[in-house]
Amino acid sequence: MITCELFRSRFTPGTDDVEVLEHLRACENCFAFAAQADADMLFRGIGGGEMIPPGGVDAFVSDVMREVHLRSTEKIASHPKFGWARRLAVAATLAAAVAGTLYYPRQQRVTPVQTTASVQPATSAMTRPVIEKYDSDTATIVEMPTEGAEDVKVVMIFDERLPADL
Amino acid sequence: MAAHLRLMIQTTQPVEPDDRQLVQTIRDGDTDAFEQLVRRKTSKVYALCYRIIGNPEDAKDISQLVFIKLWENLEKYDAKYAFDTWLYRMVTNVAIDFIRNRQSRENAVNSNLRLVKTSTDAEQGVVFQRKEIETVFNDVASVLSPKQKTIFVMREMEDLPSSEIAKILGCRESTVRNHLFNARKLMQQQLQKRYPEYAQLWRSR
Repeated sequence: MITCELFRSRFTPGTDDVEVLEHLRACENCFAFAAQADADMLFRGIGGGEMIPPGGVDAFVSDVMREVHLRSTEKIASHPKFGWARRLAVAATLAAAVAGTLYYPRQQRVTPVQTTASVQPATSAMTRPVIEKYDSDTATIVEMPTEGAEDVKVVMIFDERLPADL
Repeated sequence: MAAHLRLMIQTTQPVEPDDRQLVQTIRDGDTDAFEQLVRRKTSKVYALCYRIIGNPEDAKDISQLVFIKLWENLEKYDAKYAFDTWLYRMVTNVAIDFIRNRQSRENAVNSNLRLVKTSTDAEQGVVFQRKEIETVFNDVASVLSPKQKTIFVMREMEDLPSSEIAKILGCRESTVRNHLFNARKLMQQQLQKRYPEYAQLWRSR
């Protein structure tokens, strides 16, 4: 910092000289001198420089950092980071839900048409046993050839006395 | 040979990263770098808050809030601009908001409670006590709008050029000069009314 003598020699009203202002803000005698010479220095004399917050810089910084950590933790807790497996599971669930949503209405549209046709046999199937036994001496059984082990096996029974609704 | 070797060893002194480098380190997830930044800027931020707000405890709270906002918004900082300009913009926004809220809470009468000094006080002459001047400033500056006060503080006390203040506040330089002119005029009137001994000295420029 410049000396008082240097300050007074360099001081001019309305100065923006950094060194002069620095001295003005640190020296009580020169502050009084400057304010009497140039009243605009009255408020300029109390400015400038840096200030220490109450409690000191260390306490201030640790308060800020505590709050920052707290907020960061809250943020993480409210938006947890998903692992890849969980993300995949969520994606699969979503895909299934979307597919289901698309498929289900189509099913509903088709089902009523089929239902009217198939309700009756279903009801009779419920009331009638699946396998019925009867004796016949004249029945002819024709078994259709299959093309493989997984092919559906078709058996035709021809009998004049066979009930029509069997 | 030994002397020769010694000459070849590089003397690497730890170089303090500048503000932009620190911000980048913080963005990369280094919380310690943020602590370093807070420590570096505390005194400046607190000083500006104190001068705008005029109360040490409120200024401390607001300064801390500024740093927390800084942490939350650091992604928005554009390294093309000076970091201090961005930081000061945050300080002024938070401080101006605080003053506006405080003003709406306070009864306007409270700020005018100080009685006008008698002529005998004025005749005794002015003793330039820095603390007293601070009180006078806080008193007369209470009539300024938050923006006027902020501009006055930045120009007259922080010695920032009008062009820089305009950048910080996002307005034109002519607007800054207008605010400054009006602030000085209003403060002169208040000094005349409440501190006539100082009004004789201080004039509006």
